[in-house]
Amino acid sequence: MLSTYLPALLMLVVATVFAVGIFTLTSVLGTKHMTPEKAIPYESGSESDGANQIRLSVKFYLTAILFVVFDIEAVFLYPWASIFRQLGWFGLVEMFAFIGSLAITLLYAWKKGALEWEK
Amino acid sequence: MTASLTGSMASWVPLMPLLLVAIGGFALLVVDALSDEHAELATLSSVVLFCAGALAAVLATGKGLVPPPSGVAPYLAVGQMSQFWNATICCGAGLSALLAGGYLHEHALERGEFYALIVFSAFGAMVLAAATDLLSIFIGLETMSLGVYSMVAYRRGSPRAAEGGLKYFLLGSFAAAVLLFGSALIYGATGHTDLAGIGQSVRDGHANLRLLILGMLMLLSGLTFKVSAVPFHMWTPDAYEGAVTPATTFMSVVVKTAAFAVLLRVILTCFSDELSASLRTGWPGMLAPMAAATMILGNFAAARQANVKRMLAYSSIAHAGYILVGVVTLYSGDEQVRQTAVSGVMFYLLAYTVSNVLAFGSLIALGSYAKEAVSYEDLAGAGRRHPLAALPFVLGVLSLMGFPPTAGFLGKWYVFSAAIASGNDLLWLVIVGVLSSVVGAYYYLRVIVYLFMKSPEPGAAIAVPMRSGYVVLALVLSGYFVLKMGVTPAPYIDLALSAASKLG
Repeated sequence: MLSTYLPALLMLVVATVFAVGIFTLTSVLGTKHMTPEKAIPYESGSESDGANQIRLSVKFYLTAILFVVFDIEAVFLYPWASIFRQLGWFGLVEMFAFIGSLAITLLYAWKKGALEWEK
Repeated sequence: MTASLTGSMASWVPLMPLLLVAIGGFALLVVDALSDEHAELATLSSVVLFCAGALAAVLATGKGLVPPPSGVAPYLAVGQMSQFWNATICCGAGLSALLAGGYLHEHALERGEFYALIVFSAFGAMVLAAATDLLSIFIGLETMSLGVYSMVAYRRGSPRAAEGGLKYFLLGSFAAAVLLFGSALIYGATGHTDLAGIGQSVRDGHANLRLLILGMLMLLSGLTFKVSAVPFHMWTPDAYEGAVTPATTFMSVVVKTAAFAVLLRVILTCFSDELSASLRTGWPGMLAPMAAATMILGNFAAARQANVKRMLAYSSIAHAGYILVGVVTLYSGDEQVRQTAVSGVMFYLLAYTVSNVLAFGSLIALGSYAKEAVSYEDLAGAGRRHPLAALPFVLGVLSLMGFPPTAGFLGKWYVFSAAIASGNDLLWLVIVGVLSSVVGAYYYLRVIVYLFMKSPEPGAAIAVPMRSGYVVLALVLSGYFVLKMGVTPAPYIDLALSAASKLG
């Protein structure tokens, strides 16, 4: 029974050896020529600008939380949609109750100004 | 399955208290979002909770109680016992909402979400108290806790509130993780997530014993955290002190009731066989020392406080200890004794709910925007200046102390007499309980001494009682029940006994 997993194990070993090997090889063979430009933190090619520990506005978190809520809704909608017919009326009502409760939360968040970026 | 899930219309009746609270919570959100006034939210939330509570109280007598749709049954029990818990939870939450209506307005903290948080948390507590599956236990616990965490940190900009909220949140999520891990181990050991299935597997001896014991200990640790039993009590004083007082009231009564409800259910359904309910080899060996430590530490620490809110926090720890004595009594093999113990715990929690609301409500009533009453010094002489406002406080602390003829006295009486009836093994626990409640008398009576026999320091700011119809109503209601349950306890204890015999 365990032998069925042998290819997977082999794959794991090969991948590990390859990944470690390549990095070891480059660090051994490669030339190192340090310049002041190379020593600064890499920022997608543009020059770095200020410290990285800046304070982010709480607005980002609010948006992120709202995103998570509706992301989860989508997660529930997919399996529901795939067995929609088996669930019948009960499933339909149940899903509408779920969406309805989320709609109320959205209404609440909207009215409370959670969706306004500039206040 | 689908057809039975929907069931007939009548089968939804036992679920009505839960549905009413859930729909009420959403209604509160809509009203809050669409209107500018906050005043009606306190009324709306307390009306919703009291209606659900009254309905649950009627259902708890067994009248009109039909089996729920069969799809609900594996996850929630909605029999007499759950309805009793629903009634207790809704009563505590409704009274807290009334107190919030007075307190938040007076202290200019009125924001609509507080009432929605109370109602949704109460919903979570009701689910938790009715849960019969490890999954629904966890969902109920988290629904209840998330609301309470934000209620504790409600007073934005107050470092104490932030500290209390963060402490409770971090420790609470850790405890929830421990509970979840325990649930996973129990599932691994027995192959069931429903409590009945776990109980069957445990009784048959099919379970992997080592996994099961570890899982059981972790599950019980997670639950005893919520009732703030020693050694899982560390968060309690800070969270209780930092929270706005209505939130403290809510935590101390509703969270405790729900956690004890599920603790009783887990023990009765899963771990009531001879091996796991033995004083030497099973959970009583863990809970009995915890009960003793909780009573001793709670009472002695409460006696040392200068802040009345912290004193009441430690007193709530002490009460958790007394109730744990009732839980430990379930080790007994005698069905009669076990039913007495369960009904004693149920009566105790109802009595504790109304007494604690009375004490916290009076503390709220004695302060106003200019100065909130928090320390003993703030209470000095208040009873002579405002006798009518101090009277409920006297009744509240007398009931918490266990002074006849109040509800608190009978609660202690039922719990301790069940423990004595179970045999000599728990006699030491009862002795510890009685002796430590003597310490309790010291700090409860100290409130009365300060109210009526002390005078404020010259030049000190004096707290003036607030005027609020909401608070008065909450005090009158809880005071009425404290006396009513103390003088004519028969209907309540009969209700608890008949619910305890069903375990639904």
